[in-house]
Amino acid sequence: MAERSRDASGAGIASGLESRLRRYRDLRLTEEELATLLLMPVLLFLGVVSFYPIVDTVWASLQDGYIIGTSAEFVGPENYEALFDDGRFWNALGVSFIYTFVSVPIELGIGLGLALLLNRKFHGKYLAQAAILFPWALPTVINAEIWSWLFHGQFGVINDMLVRVGLLETAYPILAKPDIALAAMISVTIWKTSSFMALILLAGLTGIPEHLYEAARMDGASNWRQLRDITLPLLKPTILVALIFRTLPAIQAFGLPYGLTNGGPAEATTTIVLFTHSITFNNLEFGVGSASATAITVIGLALSLFYVATLYEPEVR
Amino acid sequence: MSTERRTHYGLGDIEIGETGKKIGFYIAISLLVLISFFPIIWMFITSLKPPTEAVRFPVTYIPETITLQNYRTALEQRPFGRYLFNSFVVASGTAIIDVFLGALAGYALSRLRFRFKLPVLLIILFSAMLPFISRLIPLFRLARELMLLNDYLGLILPYAAFQLPFAVWIMQAYFKELPDSIEEAGLMDGLTRLGVLFRIILPISAPAMATAAIIVFIYAWNEFLFALTFMTEEQMKTITVGIALYGGQYSFPWGTISAAVVMSVIPLLLFMLIFQRKVVEGLTAGFGKA
Repeated sequence: MAERSRDASGAGIASGLESRLRRYRDLRLTEEELATLLLMPVLLFLGVVSFYPIVDTVWASLQDGYIIGTSAEFVGPENYEALFDDGRFWNALGVSFIYTFVSVPIELGIGLGLALLLNRKFHGKYLAQAAILFPWALPTVINAEIWSWLFHGQFGVINDMLVRVGLLETAYPILAKPDIALAAMISVTIWKTSSFMALILLAGLTGIPEHLYEAARMDGASNWRQLRDITLPLLKPTILVALIFRTLPAIQAFGLPYGLTNGGPAEATTTIVLFTHSITFNNLEFGVGSASATAITVIGLALSLFYVATLYEPEVR
Repeated sequence: MSTERRTHYGLGDIEIGETGKKIGFYIAISLLVLISFFPIIWMFITSLKPPTEAVRFPVTYIPETITLQNYRTALEQRPFGRYLFNSFVVASGTAIIDVFLGALAGYALSRLRFRFKLPVLLIILFSAMLPFISRLIPLFRLARELMLLNDYLGLILPYAAFQLPFAVWIMQAYFKELPDSIEEAGLMDGLTRLGVLFRIILPISAPAMATAAIIVFIYAWNEFLFALTFMTEEQMKTITVGIALYGGQYSFPWGTISAAVVMSVIPLLLFMLIFQRKVVEGLTAGFGKA
């Protein structure tokens, strides 16, 4: 930085002004040059750490033994053929889709309910919001460990509660049963992220002008009609953002199945990322792993595009 | 208690005089808070029990014997303090980089006129949508070649890139609201545009920088996929990976695990308590106007 102190005192105004002008000329950048200067580091950084790896993964998916470095060999679509022939891939894809498309709509519903509840002034609002957000702030994998203890097949507190209220006669190995383990995993993620959904929606609710509701009430509109005709339409852009913000992480779930069930029983909770990570770093099949990762990229982008296309509409307000 | 007047429940204002509704509201909030905290409360209860009582069914909700043995074991078994320290270094480093770069880019995107503004903004936001697993394998190889495995920078750089779009978004949303007169005054005073940015804009943007830093910090603190893959040496592991290791291959010492979990959650709890307002604002910044 060339300019040092800006002496606003009266002494030496003339010479001060002159040197200031000189400095200004020396470092004068056009807005365009300055913008380039400021954005360059960011774009370079993202290029190396975000975009280059995506391209490189596609490249690696067409090679054999790429990461080992010694005997990389171009094999074309071979890795993809191996991947698509692997039943575990389709199973993992199915698990991830069920996990995502069951949990996200439920989170949206609960989140909307929570947001409507919280959308008012009350004592300790920030404290209450932060407290309800606590599950969101918990590291996913630590949360997974916590719930695997809560769900424990012999000594779990959830089993104890279910027995006490008479729903179960004795402890039941919830996480060891393929058909129930996924449901348990989904309920954990709903517990963890509904509050996050609520917070995003709450921000959208605050932006809806109060006079619309006043007018609707004067016309005798019921609460339900106000929700349907005012709240939901005006909340649509926020819902779009919330859906994208939740769907992309959900389709990439890794820490939760890793810590809760490690993908079991019988791969019933093996998500697509857990599968990809396992064949890459446990089986060291980097080519097939890269093919699987590329498939995830395509799915993720397709989902984002789908949301934007269905929910986006030009500003109507 | 209940009046004939209709209030549109949950859609904005609540009739303050209606004590019943108010009590019901606070009960609902308390219930939600209880549901949010129950799992960690249960971990705390488990952590105080001796091993024989932890594995008993039906469970005891109030420990019959209280012991701190689990905490001692957790601290002796693994370098717990070191895990925390590693997480702290990684999360702080990530936050610092993102706030700095986010401010630079956010300033350009919100207050300068230049060509390709929209494409640049879209590229930055688009990078946030790329799956992490697809970036993991090449970055793993890159980190290995650059000797950045088991190095703080090996995690800080990817994390910073992953959260940078968020930081840029927060900063540009904040800068947008500042009046134009700030720059004009600075330029009149003889500052260069860069001078205006560093001497005037950045200092008054501390609130937005803090918001961005806090959310980025939480993200980096919680990340697992890269931490698991990049940090293989015991002394370099972060807390999330460290906790996942307390469970053995075949045995799960639940008392020790719960003690470790409780200890790992305390810093987070304090963090959320101190920065409650910032966290809430950070998450919702820009969404209302999205």
